[in-house]
Amino acid sequence: MMPGPTTPNMELALPARAENIAIVRHAFGALGEALAIDEEVVSDIRLAVTEACTNVVVHAYPDDQEGPLEVLATLTDDELTVLVRDEGPGIVPRPDSPGLGLGLPLIASLTEGMQLGHGEDGRTEVCMIFSLTGSAVAGEPTAPGDAFAAPDLP
Amino acid sequence: MSETEGKAQATKENAVSLRLAIGPLVGPVLCRVVSMVLARADWPLDRLDDALLICDAIAAHAPAHANDGRLAFTVTSDSRGLELQVGALAEHGARALVADATLPGVGNVLEQMSHELHVVAGEDEPTEKLVLTLSRD
Repeated sequence: MMPGPTTPNMELALPARAENIAIVRHAFGALGEALAIDEEVVSDIRLAVTEACTNVVVHAYPDDQEGPLEVLATLTDDELTVLVRDEGPGIVPRPDSPGLGLGLPLIASLTEGMQLGHGEDGRTEVCMIFSLTGSAVAGEPTAPGDAFAAPDLP
Repeated sequence: MSETEGKAQATKENAVSLRLAIGPLVGPVLCRVVSMVLARADWPLDRLDDALLICDAIAAHAPAHANDGRLAFTVTSDSRGLELQVGALAEHGARALVADATLPGVGNVLEQMSHELHVVAGEDEPTEKLVLTLSRD
């Protein structure tokens, strides 16, 4: 089970469509402004969340089906935990992947910690932890066995 | 409030469900999400401004009437208009929210700006949901 937050400060649920990713980005922009989070940190959060949401839109559901995209954000002390989840089959090797495979490494480089897995209800989850006091060190994933070990990085 | 109402739930249509803890996020996030939905639907600027005024009024007064320390919003737009649902409000909270949104010399912001406004009772608990519609033109 993913180390999921229990009482998110912000929850978004919307159809996993490309046009809805911008809404998620803007919601996190508003969150950053409201909490006076450093602009550089907000930029990292928005980029990582965008990548995770894009993965859901591109990979989670078959082309002829639509499913939900859920984003939960929980603030704790100096950290923000963001959970992006969907009802797709999970992250699996995909030889026909349309992406360059940079999404998950990019997320890993922007976060303090990251985990891929399934929630209690079986939904696919990407859990990202951001430090609100400074950016993560680029290129150094802090959670072992996550992004760089994942197959077919979308 | 039913279990379904308690979570931010995506619906079949292109609705955006938003659930926020009462605090500094309510106003900024609600306004930003609504403005994005309306900008995507190519709303005229004056009507987008009206919608944001409604959001500001709701963000200012809804927390006082929330049922459980959180507010759930559902935003749906089409070519004709916007529907904004606000819940879960305490019993009589929806009408109290509308009454609170009165500005001296201006009158009631929600009643004046909304095309339609009604209250939906909760299914399981004595809660309410305020449903506002705003026409595009």
